[in-house]
Amino acid sequence: MEQPIVELRDVVKSYRQGHVDVPALRGLTLSVRKGEFVAICGPSGSGKTTALNLIGALDRPSSGSVRVEGQELARLSRTRLSSLRRDRIGFVFQAYNLIPVLTAYENAESVLALQGVDARQRRERVMALLAEVGLGGLEHRRPDHLSGGQQQRVAIARAIAADPAVVLADEPTANVDSETAERLLDIMGKLNTERGATFIFSTHDPRVMDHARRLVRLVDGRIESDETR
Amino acid sequence: MGGPKLARMAWRNMWRNRRRTMITLTGIVFGVLLATLFTGLGDSTYTKMINLAARLTGGHLALQHREVLDRGPSPKRFIDGATAKRKLALALPEVTRAEVRITGHTMLAAGGNSRGAAFIAFDPRAEDTTTLSVLEALKEGRSFQSSRERGIILGRKLAEQLGVRLGRKVVYTMTDKHGEIVTGLARVRGIIKSGADSVDAGICLLPIDAVRRVLGYGPDEATQVAVFIKDQRQSGRVAARLGGQLDDAAAVTWYQRQPELAGFISMKETAALFFELIIAILVAAGIFNTLFVSVMERLREFGIMMAIGFSPGRLFRLVMWESLWVGLVGIVLAALATAYPYYYFNVKGIDMSAMVSKGGAEISGVAVDPVMRVAIYPEHAAFIAAAAVVATLVAGLYPAWRAGRVAPVDSIKLV
Repeated sequence: MEQPIVELRDVVKSYRQGHVDVPALRGLTLSVRKGEFVAICGPSGSGKTTALNLIGALDRPSSGSVRVEGQELARLSRTRLSSLRRDRIGFVFQAYNLIPVLTAYENAESVLALQGVDARQRRERVMALLAEVGLGGLEHRRPDHLSGGQQQRVAIARAIAADPAVVLADEPTANVDSETAERLLDIMGKLNTERGATFIFSTHDPRVMDHARRLVRLVDGRIESDETR
Repeated sequence: MGGPKLARMAWRNMWRNRRRTMITLTGIVFGVLLATLFTGLGDSTYTKMINLAARLTGGHLALQHREVLDRGPSPKRFIDGATAKRKLALALPEVTRAEVRITGHTMLAAGGNSRGAAFIAFDPRAEDTTTLSVLEALKEGRSFQSSRERGIILGRKLAEQLGVRLGRKVVYTMTDKHGEIVTGLARVRGIIKSGADSVDAGICLLPIDAVRRVLGYGPDEATQVAVFIKDQRQSGRVAARLGGQLDDAAAVTWYQRQPELAGFISMKETAALFFELIIAILVAAGIFNTLFVSVMERLREFGIMMAIGFSPGRLFRLVMWESLWVGLVGIVLAALATAYPYYYFNVKGIDMSAMVSKGGAEISGVAVDPVMRVAIYPEHAAFIAAAAVVATLVAGLYPAWRAGRVAPVDSIKLV
């Protein structure tokens, strides 16, 4: 049987607030396989963001195991975690979070540049991706000259450019209008079906939930339901 | 993402907050401007003083009897083969002039008055104002026409104290090479009015062959060969080279002969260095503040960069590039801003005549030019530029380290 891309086992994560430990995840166990299009939903404080942070190697669990492509994240150094994020994980943030001094093209190619990919290959791949997300001709614009939807499309291109094992998208449609949200979801859906890219969303947005082929509902740091469509 | 991309990114980051960057650059410009003018003023003044001292006494270095430095000058402590020693010095590329002299002390008497004075006996055919600065102050009468002439040139105050004027006779008394007291007779040919009391009241000039005859010296005997070099900073090196080639004489630098002057300059240079250090610290503190604030404002951005795969080392290098750019742009602007003031103070100088007393200004017996000019040594200018860049890099270290320590999860705040 194929190994999961992402595997969380009995993951507990608590945050210290003053003198009190506040649990965010209470023994979460979750597997995501290659090519899945998963939405993690739930009310505020249910732990969906914490789960994404742990999968994205941005944080460490209090106990339990988080594996990405079989690698136990707790055993990796800061530098190895940084390499893992660069090579195997793509991020799409709610507030786009592009690097403001780089153009759309430079933002999209940044991960490839960090990987040391040859300039010509980078150009071919990034130009194709930008065209694919509908940003052909806007390569030289900086983020402050792009609309919210255009910025988010650059972020998607950046996340997908290096063919990561998994793309983590945190509320990717939260800051855009309905039409743009539909367009973004179509783009991500297309990348999922055509390129086999694995997506994990955290979301409140019913439109995202509608597009998802697997819906994981979290309540109080535990899985309440895990539904595959 | 290699060096050039990081450098380009850092360059763009530097201009994100133009006003803040311009304030920082202004700090560097003023720091470099001040340090350059201040150091240039010192370099120019001290070089002028040293060159003046060299022209007033025994050159930048003097070839003289080995015991003179420890036991003091005396006609008994003379050197033989002065012409050969002069040629030896002139063979070195750094040496511009070398002149044979007899120096010492004499008792002058005229009428019922007598005064002690230092004397310099020189060859009037060989020397002029470029090697003997007191000749510039020869305001009355003339210099000697021959080295055998029975003439004497007196300082103005010395002449007044002796009660003599041009054409009058003066008797000079000294001890000869055997320690016997001898006398010579000379007519006053000229009066020196330098403005410096130590010169006008304490020095007289005599023709070298006339003094040789009085002292019983042979034609190639003298007390020193005064050696002049292009750059006074090479005095020690040239002295060491010449000293190594001399068996019967020592090469003594101006700072060995005039330790008070050397001490004064050294003290002033130390004070200037301290002043420059304070400027560097102030500039570095300004840059640190700018960079640190700039990093703290961008913690979220650094968190994002960490999330997409920037390593802590890359973020460190990015901020260090930013501080290097600030330093380099600061240096370029400082060079442009310093050019005109430097030119002005180099050519026109600062006229301090109004602040100098009537008797003239002098330090350790050396007259000081009341017009102070700025002329910095190239290596000092390079040092200031390098110090400014190093200060910016040092100031960038902590902010750069801080950028690399960002915890992505804390700074991104995903929800």
